[in-house]
Amino acid sequence: MFKTRFRAVIYITFLLPIILLILSFTDEYVQQREQMVENQLIPRGITDKNTLRAMRETPRHLFIPSAAQRRFAYQDRPLPIGYGQTISQPYIVAYMTQIIEPKSDYRVLEIGTGSGYQAAVLAEIVDEVYTIEIVEELGKHSIKVFDKLEYENVDVKIDDGYYGWEEYAPFDAIVVTAAAEHIPPPLIEQLKDGGKMIIPVGSPFHTQQLMLVEKDGDDIITKNLMPVRFVPFRRAE
Amino acid sequence: MVSFFSKFDNQHRMLIALGIHSIAIIAYQLALMQMLSFIQWHHFAYMIISIAMLGFGASGTLVVIARKWFINKAEWIIPLLMILAGLFMIVTFPLSRQEAIQFDVYLLFTEFRQFPKLALNYILFFLPFFFGALAIGLIFIIYSKKIGVYYFSNLIGSGVGGILVLFIFSSFYPEQSFPLIAILPVLSGIIVISKKYYKLQIVFSIIALFLSVFFFFKPSDIHVSEYKSLSKTMTLPEAEIIHSEPDVHGVVNVVSSPAMRYAPGVSLSFRENMPVKPSVFVNAEVFGNIPKHDDNAKFNIHDYTTMALPYVMNERDSVLVLNAATGNALSHALNNDAKCVTGVIENSAVIDLLKNDFSYESGELFLNPKVNIVYQESRAYLNEYRGKKSFDAIKLPLLDAFGGTAGLNALSEEYYLTKEAFERMWDMINDDGVIVVSSWMDYPPRNTLKIFATLVELAEEKEVENIKDHIIGIRSWGNLSFAIKKTPVTDSEIKKIRDFCDKMFFDPLLLPDISDEERVKFNILEDDSFFNYIDEIMGDNRDNLYNEYGFHIRPATDDKPYFSQFMRLSSVQYLRDLFGPAQMPFLEIGYLIVVITFAQSLLLALLFIVLPLFFLKRTGAGKFPTLLYFGALGLGYMFVEIILIQRFVLYFGHPIYAITAVISAMLLSSGAGSYFSSKIQNIRKNASKVNLLIAGFLLLYAFILTPLIELTISSDIVFKIITGLLLISIPSFFMGMPFPLGIKYLSDNNENHIGWAWGINGSISVIATSLAMLVAVEGGFRMVILIAMACYLIAFFAMRIYKN
Repeated sequence: MFKTRFRAVIYITFLLPIILLILSFTDEYVQQREQMVENQLIPRGITDKNTLRAMRETPRHLFIPSAAQRRFAYQDRPLPIGYGQTISQPYIVAYMTQIIEPKSDYRVLEIGTGSGYQAAVLAEIVDEVYTIEIVEELGKHSIKVFDKLEYENVDVKIDDGYYGWEEYAPFDAIVVTAAAEHIPPPLIEQLKDGGKMIIPVGSPFHTQQLMLVEKDGDDIITKNLMPVRFVPFRRAE
Repeated sequence: MVSFFSKFDNQHRMLIALGIHSIAIIAYQLALMQMLSFIQWHHFAYMIISIAMLGFGASGTLVVIARKWFINKAEWIIPLLMILAGLFMIVTFPLSRQEAIQFDVYLLFTEFRQFPKLALNYILFFLPFFFGALAIGLIFIIYSKKIGVYYFSNLIGSGVGGILVLFIFSSFYPEQSFPLIAILPVLSGIIVISKKYYKLQIVFSIIALFLSVFFFFKPSDIHVSEYKSLSKTMTLPEAEIIHSEPDVHGVVNVVSSPAMRYAPGVSLSFRENMPVKPSVFVNAEVFGNIPKHDDNAKFNIHDYTTMALPYVMNERDSVLVLNAATGNALSHALNNDAKCVTGVIENSAVIDLLKNDFSYESGELFLNPKVNIVYQESRAYLNEYRGKKSFDAIKLPLLDAFGGTAGLNALSEEYYLTKEAFERMWDMINDDGVIVVSSWMDYPPRNTLKIFATLVELAEEKEVENIKDHIIGIRSWGNLSFAIKKTPVTDSEIKKIRDFCDKMFFDPLLLPDISDEERVKFNILEDDSFFNYIDEIMGDNRDNLYNEYGFHIRPATDDKPYFSQFMRLSSVQYLRDLFGPAQMPFLEIGYLIVVITFAQSLLLALLFIVLPLFFLKRTGAGKFPTLLYFGALGLGYMFVEIILIQRFVLYFGHPIYAITAVISAMLLSSGAGSYFSSKIQNIRKNASKVNLLIAGFLLLYAFILTPLIELTISSDIVFKIITGLLLISIPSFFMGMPFPLGIKYLSDNNENHIGWAWGINGSISVIATSLAMLVAVEGGFRMVILIAMACYLIAFFAMRIYKN
C-alpha cells in the first residue's frame, strides 16, 4: 500500500510538471494565434468572420516541418519549409482566403500545397478542399499532417498542378500559392462561371502581384490586388 | 641589400619566376570570379574578391612590421611563399564548400549565422592572394633598385594571365581551373628554390602537385545556391541536366523537365497546351527556353502575348531581334511570315548549341535560310549597322523577365537600353517600321515608366510632331508592349489593335483616341497612378515627375547606362512601408552589395594602411607624401582601367573579349612603360612630369574619348582594333611609370617605406573598384575619369612635397 502511494507521488511529482508544461505550450499557441489575429490581421483589413475564425483555429505551428522554426510560427513573416519553398506569412494566407469569399458549400482547389497550412485554413471553412503539390517530399509531409490532425475534407495529390484536378472540377474557387509567369488554361477551364481564382504572378526574386481572376461568362477579368514579395528566409534545419 | 639571390640564383630566373607567378595571380582572380558568379552571383564574387585582394595590402603591412626578418630570410621564404600561394589556390575552394563554411549571399540579410561563414570565406580566399602578394612585394623590396624591370615582369605576367584564362574557361569547368592555374606559382617557386634551403619547399611542392592532379580529376562538389534558377528548376519532377559545357561566358547547362512550360504572360483566352521546352542556363541563371520551331505551326505562343503587337499592326518582312537569346522571338517572326530575320546574340556557346547539339530540338531554327544569327553585343550591332541596314521591326527582349536578375543587374551597363541605342534603332527602321519593347508589369512601376520615357524622349529628339500618334501601347494581366513608329499610326492599325485586345482580354494603353474606360476593360490595376504617370511622361511636366518620383525613371544614357538602377534614398521609407523591412535588401541587391563591398574594403584597407605607421615611427619623414603618392596611383590606375573596360565593351562588341583586351593591353603597355622607366634618371623631377602628362591625357580623354569612339565605331574591324589599342596603350604606357619611379625614389631615400607603399597601392586599388562603380552610377563616366585625372595631379604634388 505504501509502495503504491509512494509510486503515485513519484509519478505525480514527475509527470505533473510535464503535463503542465505541455498545457502551457498549448495555451501559449492559442494565445499567439489570438495575438496574430488581433495584431496582424484585423488592423490590415481582414474582417471576414469565417476567415478570422479559421485563422484562430488552425494550428499553424504544426505545419512547420522544422521544430527549431516553430517558435516563429505566429510571427508576421514567412518561414522556410525546405526545397526553396516557404509557408506564407499569416496575413497573406488570410488575405487569399478572404478574397475568394469562401462559403461552407464551396469546393476549392489549391495549387501548391507546400506546408499544407493554406489548405487547412480553407478546410476550416469549406466542405471540400483539393490540393496539389509538385514536390513529392512536401506532398507526403502534408498528407501526414492532415492525417494526424484529422482533416477529412482535404484531399492531397502529388502531381503537376498545371493540369488542375479535372475529376472534381468545376471549382468555386482556386487558390494558387506558387508564383507563375502564366495562368494555366486547364485551371481557367476548371473554374466555375462566376468563380474566383487568386494567383501570385511574378518572378521568384522580384516583386510579385497578387492577382484575382474572375470568370464572367465568356469574359475573364483580372484585378491586381497588391504587391507581394518572396524572401529567401532561413532554410529548413 | 642589392642581390640576395646572387649566391643561389640569378636575376633572370627571378624575373621569369615573377612573371609566371603574376600570370597565376591574375588568372586565379578571374577564375575565382567566374566560379563565385556561377555558384552565387557576380556581385558576391566582387565582395569576396575585393577582400581577398586586400592580401596585397596585408602583405605590405607585414613587410613593414618584420622587414629585417623577411629580408634576411628572403632566399628561403620567397620560393616558399610562391609554393604556398599555389597550394592554397588548390585547397581554398574545396574547403569553402564544406557544410560548416558554405555561405549564401541571399541569406546574408536574414540569417545571422551567415556572417561568421562569410568571414571564414573571406579568410580562406584571402590566403592565396596574401602569400602570392607577399612574394611579389618582397621581390620588389629586394630589387627596388631595378624595380622598373621587375614591375615590367609583373605587369607582363598579369597581362598574359588575363589572356590565358580565356583558354582555360573555354576548355575546363571553373572547379578544374584552380588546380590547373595553381601549378604556375608552384613552378615559379621551384625555379627560384635555393641550393641551401630546399627541403621544405620541395615537400610543399610535391604536396601541391599531388593535390593539383587529384582535384583536377576529382573536383569538389559545387553546390550552386538553392536560390539560383538552376537549383530551383532541378526540384521540378523528372528534371535533368541533359547538356553541360564550360565556356568563357560561363558554364552552360541545358535542363529538361515535363513541368517546364514556356508561356510568358500568355493571354487568358489561350486554351491550347502550353509548349514544354528545355531551358538553357548560363552560370546557373536562365538564358532562354529552346523553341521547337515549325514553319507550319498552327500557332506560336507569342501570338497570344502583347509581344505580337508588331505583327498585329502590319506585315513585317524584315525583323531584327536584339539579345535574341535562344531564339523564341525569331521563331515568332518566322511564324508571322517574316522573310528575313536577324538575331543578335552575345553568347557564342549558345549559338553553337542551337546550331549543333540542339539543332533538331529547335527545329533547325538557327540554320533556317531566312534566319541570320549575329554573334555580337546588341548595342555594338546597332553601332556597326546604323545607316547600312533597315528593318520593318526591331524587337527588344522582354524586360524584367521572370528568372531574370533585375535587382542584381542594378549596376550592370545595359547599352542597348540607352537613349543613344534607341536613336540608332530609329535610324534603322523603315518608314512604316516599328521599334517594339515589352516589359513585365512591375509595382511600384519602374521598368515600364523608364522605357516609356525613353521612347517619348526619342520621339522628341527626332522632332516627331504629335507624339501620341506615334506611340502605341497594349497591356495584358502581366505585361505590356510599346511600339513606336516613324509615321503616324493608321486607322486600320488602330482597329486591328483593338480587335486583337478584345480577343486576347488585353487592354489598350496608348492609342491616339483612347478613353480612360478602355484602359481597364479586362485588367484592373490597384489604382490609376500608373496611367497618370504615363500621361505625365507624355506631357510637359515630365521633368517634375523624374525629380519627384520615388525611383530613377529618367532614361539611361551612354554616360550612365544603368537602366536597371532605380533605387533612390528617398524611396527607401516608402518601400519599407510597402514591403516590410525584411524585404528591403532584396529590392536592389546589386547596388547594396557594391555599397557593402566599398564600406568593408575601406575599413580593412585603412587598417592595413594605418597599422604600419606605428612601425614607421623612427623614419617619420615623408609619410604623408608616400601615402598620397601611392594611394593616388592605386585609385587613379583602377579608375582608368574600369572606364576603359566600360567604354571599350561598347567599342569591340564582345564583352568578354573586350575586357580581356583592355586589361591585357593596359598591363602590357604599362609593363613596357615600367621597363622604360628603369632608364630614367633624376627621378623626382621626371616622376612629377610623367604624372602631369598622364593627368593631361585623362583631361583630354574626359572630353574626346566618347566622341572618338563614336566616330570610329562603325569603321573596318582592323582599323577599330588599331585605334582601340592605341587609345588604351598610349596612356597606359605612361601609367606604368609612376609606381616603379616612386619605389625607386623610396629605395634611394627612404627604403623603409617601400613595403608600406606596396600595401597602400594594393589596398587603395581594391577600394577603387567598388568606388568607381558608385561614382559612375551617381555621376557618370566622365566624373570617374576626371577623378582619375585628379589622382594623378595629387601624385604630381606629392612628388613635389617629397622634393621640398
